[in-house]
Amino acid sequence: MENVIAVKGLKVCYGDFIAVEDLSFEVRTGEIFVIIGPNGSGKSSAVESIEGLRKCAAGDIRVLGLSPYEQRNEMYRHIGVQLQEVQYPDKMKVKELCALFASFYEAPADWQSLLQQLGLRRKGSSYVSKLSGGEKQRLSILLALLPGPEVLILDELTTGLDPEARRMLWNHLKEVRASGVSILLVSHYMEEVAYLADRLLFMRGGKAIFTGSVDQLHEYAQVELRGQYQDGMSLEDIYLLLVAECVY
Amino acid sequence: MKAFYTSVKMEAKLFMRGFFGPFFAFIFPLMMLVLFGSIYGNEPSAFFGGHGAMDVSIPAYAAMVIGVCGLMSLPLSISEYRDRKIYKRFDATPVGKERVLWAQLFVNIVASIVGIMLLFLFGAILYKVKLAGNMAAVFLAVILSMAAIFSLGFFLASVARDAKVTNILCYSLYFIMLFTSGATIPKALFSDSIVRFSKVLPLTYVVELLQGTVAGEAVSGYWLSIVVLSGVSIVLGAVSFAIYKRKRWEG
Repeated sequence: MENVIAVKGLKVCYGDFIAVEDLSFEVRTGEIFVIIGPNGSGKSSAVESIEGLRKCAAGDIRVLGLSPYEQRNEMYRHIGVQLQEVQYPDKMKVKELCALFASFYEAPADWQSLLQQLGLRRKGSSYVSKLSGGEKQRLSILLALLPGPEVLILDELTTGLDPEARRMLWNHLKEVRASGVSILLVSHYMEEVAYLADRLLFMRGGKAIFTGSVDQLHEYAQVELRGQYQDGMSLEDIYLLLVAECVY
Repeated sequence: MKAFYTSVKMEAKLFMRGFFGPFFAFIFPLMMLVLFGSIYGNEPSAFFGGHGAMDVSIPAYAAMVIGVCGLMSLPLSISEYRDRKIYKRFDATPVGKERVLWAQLFVNIVASIVGIMLLFLFGAILYKVKLAGNMAAVFLAVILSMAAIFSLGFFLASVARDAKVTNILCYSLYFIMLFTSGATIPKALFSDSIVRFSKVLPLTYVVELLQGTVAGEAVSGYWLSIVVLSGVSIVLGAVSFAIYKRKRWEG
């Protein structure tokens, strides 16, 4: 299986503060790869470097063989992203935003059909500011899908959504993955990770402490947590214990 | 080109959907024109150097239009986009945020020109205002004025840490300039101290240059305005661009 994203020895700094250090991992073609870790663990800094939005202090990143920072415009012809905490102008309508973003690509996907697929067809004439949280996130996915991407990068896509909206997005992501798109997802929800992840990366203190499947994380936790690990533990229990290992 | 055209169309719609831009760029100057025109008329007067009140006021109101677009509409929309990470989202596309920034600039330039043309059109219809000066000289004066005031607006948006600070800076400077540059109140009514104060404001030189070129006076009489406005355009334009490149506005 080929890698669509390859990160080697990534280091991200903010002044003297090192946010990410010696981070290496790959995302394989057609998989959903999830990055987890507590707040401040460097997830978003790593992802923004992969997106070419932040310059890394050291290391090498390749997305579809391209350097995200130096070849950003070329890279964005092939990848779609959803960024954390992005808003759009209040007076912009959904269909206008879609048409605007579609104009950025040479052969964009049919946004009207995507509106239909994502349950937003009736919202086309609504102002973006009037959408609910779930609708805004579906719109973010729509914009990310406009380039007809080979890779989709989603940063905390379901944060703040109710369980129904979250489940709807998860199912849609599975459909997207089934169509051959590789997905890199940052998440805080272990239920989401268990439902979606083919493989995951656990970050703590700016470093990778584990990379592998959910089953492999259980095996890792058995060894790492020694007496604390119990059969039948949920992913969230393991996550909390692994985070606490660092804190205490 | 398609991306730029769509961005311009979108930014034009957003400009027109706001209250502030269309009102202060198109409607308010016309209200001033009708209000003061109905009071003073446009008969030649010694008070206005042999010109009519509206002959002198229309270039001053044109300066006000340039101020609204360059010092309010443009920097405030830039700050909003930066604070809300809208530019960052555009950076995550093949065209980047520069395309949208150019579209915002283009829309505000066009809005300024439309606002100024409306003033001359209504001035000609209602008060028989005539463009005594050379059309090319007036056009160049408008371009230089826009370059200076838009550079100032871009500079304020660049140095302000967020939209709130940009608001405070732009509103303060705009309204101070509006009432002390001759854009709304004729300079002949100012006290000596206000005249001295007005000399540090770029909009004062915009008013002088536009009034001079519209009246058909020799451009050589306005060399100070040309030098000041060129200096403001070059220095603030370059500084803002350097700040923009350094910060990258990634949010």
